[in-house]
Amino acid sequence: MIAVCLKWVDRRPDPARAIVVAEPDERFAGVSAADQAALEWALRQRDRVGGEVVALTVGPSAAEAILRDASAAGADRAIRIDLAFGAPSRTVATALAGVVGEASTIWCGDYSFDRGTGSVPAFLAHDLGVAQALGLVAVEFTDAGIVALRRLDGGRRERLSITRPAVLSVEGSTALLRRASLRNLLASPIIERVGAGGGHADALHPVEARPYRPRPRVLPAPAGATALDRVRSLTAAGSATAAHGETVTLEPAAAADRILAALVEWGYIP
Amino acid sequence: MRDAGALDPATLDADVIVVGAGPAGSCAAIVLARAGKRVVLIERGPFPGSKNMYGGVVYPRILDQLIPNWWLEAPVQRWVTRRSTMIMTDDKALTVDFRCEAWGKPPHNGATAFRPDFDAWLADKAVVAGARLICSTTVTGLLHNEAGAVSGVTTDRPDGDLTAAVVIACDGVNSFLAKQEGLYGEFDAANYTLGVKETLALPKETIDERFGVRGTDGVDIEIVGCTGGVNGGGFIYTNLDTIAVGLVLKLPKLAAQKQRPEELIATMKRHPAIAPLVEGAELKEYSAHLIPEAGISMLPTLSGNGMLLAGDAAALCLAAGIWLEGVNFAMASGMYAGEAVVEALRAQDVTVSGLAGYQRRLEATFVLKDHRKLKRAPELVLSDRVQHLYPEFVTSVAERMFRVDNPAPKPGVRRIIAQERKRVGIRRRDLAADGVAGLRSFG
Repeated sequence: MIAVCLKWVDRRPDPARAIVVAEPDERFAGVSAADQAALEWALRQRDRVGGEVVALTVGPSAAEAILRDASAAGADRAIRIDLAFGAPSRTVATALAGVVGEASTIWCGDYSFDRGTGSVPAFLAHDLGVAQALGLVAVEFTDAGIVALRRLDGGRRERLSITRPAVLSVEGSTALLRRASLRNLLASPIIERVGAGGGHADALHPVEARPYRPRPRVLPAPAGATALDRVRSLTAAGSATAAHGETVTLEPAAAADRILAALVEWGYIP
Repeated sequence: MRDAGALDPATLDADVIVVGAGPAGSCAAIVLARAGKRVVLIERGPFPGSKNMYGGVVYPRILDQLIPNWWLEAPVQRWVTRRSTMIMTDDKALTVDFRCEAWGKPPHNGATAFRPDFDAWLADKAVVAGARLICSTTVTGLLHNEAGAVSGVTTDRPDGDLTAAVVIACDGVNSFLAKQEGLYGEFDAANYTLGVKETLALPKETIDERFGVRGTDGVDIEIVGCTGGVNGGGFIYTNLDTIAVGLVLKLPKLAAQKQRPEELIATMKRHPAIAPLVEGAELKEYSAHLIPEAGISMLPTLSGNGMLLAGDAAALCLAAGIWLEGVNFAMASGMYAGEAVVEALRAQDVTVSGLAGYQRRLEATFVLKDHRKLKRAPELVLSDRVQHLYPEFVTSVAERMFRVDNPAPKPGVRRIIAQERKRVGIRRRDLAADGVAGLRSFG
């Protein structure tokens, strides 16, 4: 089984809203380009190695529209997990994990339109205890399996050989979803409905809605007696650059402490 | 031509394909679906109304027959309770203002509406009735059977041919399907105007105050003489917290004058009679759209074998000066097309003669009666005299009448009219001819 997880969202995100809790206007609702790419990769994988593609979404009944579209594009089965719109990623991932446990590959988009954080695929991989490859910018099917390119900080890339089962999240630029045929659009797909098992209780109830602002990064004051020195200190202009990194081998708890200390030292967290 | 085999439901994908989920298409689909027909309603946009060019007044009285008490649920912006006709020159404006409080109450008269809301609502009625709505799909052509009759459509989707007993083309002003079927004669740009519209945002309270309305009451202002050297007209419509300001411009004149429509709107917005209404507004949208405005003289052949035209595709838009209507003609023609097709399918005859009930219905109702009655109106309203000489004449007469020139005594109205007619350069003969034409059209 090849699973693809699709999020039903308003395709006109309002950046002034911190948390989107209202159900989308159905006229403007759909899936992100990343989710479309995920579906396309699932279909390509099936076309290459066989099996069945199961499209899933978590949401209210109106979200079934995207499952009908996925079926028209070629998904073999469609499952909606009934949950109120706006459930947190953790709840969504748990609900999905209860259904996709048998899947060899689980495709997701790496973010949704409503300023998603891409955390559902990570939670999902954790819940299932399977490998994860997130933020993929290229995917290739080889005789040996799936090879993917992952985006890293600083413009670097990481080439991964995927061992299945795995959760893969792809960027929207990786594939263009095939156009559904008219016959498939006219067909009436059967959409399976599954309860989420108490997920409603965890739905988000924001106490404050405010515009999204990235967290400020606190930097220490630059050293230097003159303005020029301070600018040089800030930008390292005129001096050879060197990677500021170290490799340490620590137990998990100690490693976590070390990471937190480094983040404080670099000014990412206070 | 009777070809029962060609109408066998088992061999067809649908009984009827309706192309375009605008007001005409959705009304046709509602009628057909309620009659138990298999209807596929194909829409090019991602949802009905998504093109969102419209900025006008909808007169949904015709919906009484399809959706009783439609006003309780129709997504409108404001009910028009105030209609103004403004005659304008560069520095003068004369306004005839009419207000009717009853129009703000059921069963209402006209309303401003956003078409993404209105069309989606109407299409949903068709879906509820049983029509199959397919969006994001462009119909690229017509299919024909061996006898040459229309038998379906081709679309831009894979495996995208679809067969049906009848195709109702509601694909808008520039109907490629009607042209493909040869239902239009030679294309004449003079039959069309270009409608351009700005949607300007203002707080609701500001709109209420500036336009003198409250609650969901709204205003419709039609303007003559605001289009520079280009023949046409202007309009302002109030939505809840936006106003639609725009122009309709005759295409040949617009091309000949080499003027940009957005510059003409900007000039109109600077006019002393308009500037206070739009001051401080934020531009939210700008759009442009062709309008079939030549009335009955440009109507295409409305039916072919296995095919009907409705709405703008059939050029059923009434542009007769004080009456500027389109959506009601679209809804009515769609409705009558649906009824005619039900009748034709029952009789197993979808040839031109089998579909003749459509023309019959249009002739028997306001759709063609109004067009015939007002057949001279578009030419008169868009004539050079009405557009350029009469506004100057009328506003000058008003200015002379209301001006106090003491110690000179007040001149008589007849004398003012005679003097201003001469000054503006209107021949008595032309004035009389236009008066007769106006009486024949509007009388």
